[in-house]
Amino acid sequence: MDDTPHSHALSLFLASTAHDMKNSISVLSGTLERLLADAATAQPASADEAPAAAHLPQMAHMLYQTRRLNDNLMQLLALYKQVGQPAYPFDVQPLPLGQLAEQVVELERVLLAARGIRLELDVDPELVWHLDEDLVVGVLSHAINNAIHYTRDTVRLAMHELDGWLELRVEDNGRGFPAAMLEAGAIAGRASAGGVNFLTNSTGLGLYFSAEVARMHRHRGCHGAVRLENGGRLGGGCFVLRLP
Amino acid sequence: MPPPASAPVPLLSAVPAKSAQVDWAAKHYLIVDDFIGVRQLLRESLRSLGARNIDQASSGGEAIGLLARTRYDVVLCDYNLGDGKNGQQVLEEARVRNLVNPSTVWLVVSAEKSVESVMGAAEHQPDAYLIKPITEGMLLTRLNRVWHKKQVFRPIDQACADKEYLRAARLCDAAIAAARLHELDLLRMKARLMERSGEPTRAREIYEQVLAQREYQWARAGLAKIRMANGEFEQARQVFQGVIAENRYYIDAYDQLAVAWQHLGKPEEACAVLESAARLSPNSVARQRNLGRLALKLGNVALAEKAFRKCIAVGEYSVMKTADAYLGLARVCGQKNDQKEALQLLLAAQRDFGQERPDVRLRAKITEGLVYHESGDHRRARLSADELEDMLRAAPERPDVPTCLELATLLFAAGGKDTPVELLCYVVRNNHDNPLLLDEVQRIFDKAHLADEGIVQIRGARKEAADLMNQGVLLWKTGKLDEAVAWTRNARQAVPNNQRILFNAAQILVSQLQQRGHDAALSAEAYAILHHVDSLLPGQQRFAQLMEQLGRLQPGREEGGEAAGREDGVVTAPDDTAEGK
Repeated sequence: MDDTPHSHALSLFLASTAHDMKNSISVLSGTLERLLADAATAQPASADEAPAAAHLPQMAHMLYQTRRLNDNLMQLLALYKQVGQPAYPFDVQPLPLGQLAEQVVELERVLLAARGIRLELDVDPELVWHLDEDLVVGVLSHAINNAIHYTRDTVRLAMHELDGWLELRVEDNGRGFPAAMLEAGAIAGRASAGGVNFLTNSTGLGLYFSAEVARMHRHRGCHGAVRLENGGRLGGGCFVLRLP
Repeated sequence: MPPPASAPVPLLSAVPAKSAQVDWAAKHYLIVDDFIGVRQLLRESLRSLGARNIDQASSGGEAIGLLARTRYDVVLCDYNLGDGKNGQQVLEEARVRNLVNPSTVWLVVSAEKSVESVMGAAEHQPDAYLIKPITEGMLLTRLNRVWHKKQVFRPIDQACADKEYLRAARLCDAAIAAARLHELDLLRMKARLMERSGEPTRAREIYEQVLAQREYQWARAGLAKIRMANGEFEQARQVFQGVIAENRYYIDAYDQLAVAWQHLGKPEEACAVLESAARLSPNSVARQRNLGRLALKLGNVALAEKAFRKCIAVGEYSVMKTADAYLGLARVCGQKNDQKEALQLLLAAQRDFGQERPDVRLRAKITEGLVYHESGDHRRARLSADELEDMLRAAPERPDVPTCLELATLLFAAGGKDTPVELLCYVVRNNHDNPLLLDEVQRIFDKAHLADEGIVQIRGARKEAADLMNQGVLLWKTGKLDEAVAWTRNARQAVPNNQRILFNAAQILVSQLQQRGHDAALSAEAYAILHHVDSLLPGQQRFAQLMEQLGRLQPGREEGGEAAGREDGVVTAPDDTAEGK
C-alpha cells in the first residue's frame, strides 16, 4: 500500500468524515424508524389522517436508503485499515446464534414491517459459535436489506452447522441474482480476489466487505467465505456466509 | 441434517426467556455524547424502555461532574467526545475514583470500535460496545446480556475486590458448571486469578484448555507471559511475535514483547517494538512513559523527548496521568542543556501531583540534582543533595527501591557518603534475598569508588535481616506464640518492606488466630501486612495462600456450595531458610 504522508492524511480524513457522517445517519435512521413504528401502531382516528398513511412507502424507502448509506460508511470505517488508520479491532467472541439472530431481526424489524415483508427464521438458537458479532451482524443486515429490495414478499434467515462450518443464509423469493452478480459472488468467495476491483460497481463494495469479513474468521487453517446463488428454499437469490 | 420446516418464528423470541427479567424502567441512566441529535435519540430509546431517570452530558468533564453526584445504573458513553476527555478516559476515571458501582452497566456507543479498548490493552474495559446506529431492540438485547453476565460474575468480582483470589477461582469453576455460555470469559478470569496467586502452572493448563477449543490470541499471549515469568524469554518472544503476526492490532502483545526483548538484553529491539506500538495506539499514558524511559536509558534523547511530551499531552485529561513523564522530560531537557525548562517541569510536577503523591517532591528534587550534575553544575548539584539530606532527616519513611537507588547514586556523585550508605543498607535489609538487586547496589558502591566498603556493608545488612528472620522462626517453632507476635511488630518496624519477613509475620498471626480463636484486631493486623506486601510485589503465591487461610478464619464466612479448600485447619510453618552467609 501507498504509505506516503499524503495517503495517510487522506485516509484519516476519509475515516473521520465517515465517522462524523455516522452520527447524522444514526439520527436520520433512528427518527425514521420511530416515525414508521408510530405510524404502524396508530389507528387513523379520522379521514384527515388517512393521507399520512400514503407517505409510509416513501418513508420506508427513505429508511432503506439510509440503511444503505450507513452500511457503506460502516464498511469504509472497517476496511480503511488497509490504507492506514483507523484499524478495525477484529474481536472474536463466543455467541449463541439465538442472540445473533435476535439482533439482526431487531435491526430489520421496522423496515420489514413497513414493506410488508415476512421474515422466516430458521435458527438453532442454542448453538454457540465464535465470531466477531458486530461484523457478522453488519453483513447479515446488509444482505437482508438487499433482499428486502428484491424479494416479492418473504425473506428467510437460516443459521445452521453444516460439516463443522456455520452456514448463514439470507434467501428471498425474488427473481434471483443476474449472472454477472453470481460471477462476482464466486470471485469474492475465492481466496485470491485481490486482483478484482469490486469498487467499480454499486453492489461490489458490500460483497467485497462481506468477503473480507468472512476471510477474517479463521480456525485451524480454514477461513470463512461468501457466495451468491439462486434457488434455495424460497427459489430466489441466496446470500451464503460460511464461517469456520 | 436437513433444516426443520421453517415455521416463522415470532420476532424477539429467538432467545429462550431468561430466568429473571430486568426492570430497566426503574434504573438511573446517563447518556454521554457530544452530538445533541444522538443524545435525543438515545433518550427516546431509553424512554421506550420505560426509563424515567435519564441524565445527559455533552462532554467528558460534564459526565465526570454528574457521575460524582449520582450513582448511575447504566451509562451510555460515546468514545469520541470532542475536546477534553474521551470516553475511555471517562470510564477509567469513573472506575479509579469509584464513581460507579461494580454493578453499573457501562456501554460504549460509538461509530466505530477503538483498537485500544478492545484489544485488552486498556486496564478498564467497558461492559459492551454498540456501533451506531443503534435500535431500541439492539440496546435492550445488549443491556440484558450484560446484566446476566454481571450476575454470573458478581460474587467473583467481590472475591477479587477482597483479594481472595483462590476463592474467586473456585467461584469461577462453580459458575462454569452453571453457565456454559460464559465458559471462555470465566476461564480467562480464572487463568488471571491463578497468575495473581503465583500459580502459573495452573494458569497454563487453563490457557491450553482454551486453545484446544479455539485459537484465541489472548490465551496464546497468556502462555507467553507465563513463559516470561519462568525466565524463558526467547520462547516468550517468539510467541508474542506470532501473536502480532496473527493480529497486528493486538497491542498488549507489543508491550509484552518489549519486556521480553529487555530481558534478552536487547533494549534497542525493545525500544523499536514500543515505538511501533505507540504508532498504532498512541494514546496510552503508560506506553508513552515506558517508551520515554527506555529511550532515555538508551541515550536516544530525541525519541525520549517525543515520548514524554506525548505522554504529558495524552495524560492531560486522564486520571492515569503520571509525574514520571514530567520528571523524565526534565532529565531530557537537562541533557539538552535547557535547565530552565527542566526546572519549570519539576515545578509543574509538584504542583500537579504533589498533593496526592507526597514522594513527588523528593523525586523532583532528585531529578533537579541529576539535571545539575549532568550539565556539569556541581555547585548547584551539591545544594540539591544537601536539601535532599535534610528531607530524609525530616521524614523517617524511606521512598521505594528505585527512588532510593537513584537518590544514593546522586548523593554519592555530589560527594556525600553517610546518607547514601545508610540508604543502600536500608534497601539491602529490606531485600536481603534478592541477588539481582544486591548486585545493583554493589555496582552503585563500585561507581562511587567504594567497592570494598560496599561488600562489607551489604554483608552486614544482609546478616541483620537474616538474623531477624531466624529469630521469628525460632520463636514460632518453639511454640512461643506470644513472643512471636511481639516479634512481628518489631520486625515490621525494623524492615517495613522485607517481603519474606512480612510474610512470616502474617503467618505467625494466622497461626495465633488458628490456635487461639478469632480476634478482630489481630486479624486486621494480618490483613494490613498482607495488603502491604501485595502492594510491594503483586502476584505471589504466599499472598494468595495466606489470604485464603485468613479468609477462612473470619467468623460467618462459610459459603455453601463452594468446594472446601485443601488444607483446612492445617498450620503451615513460616518460610524457614536460615542463612547467614
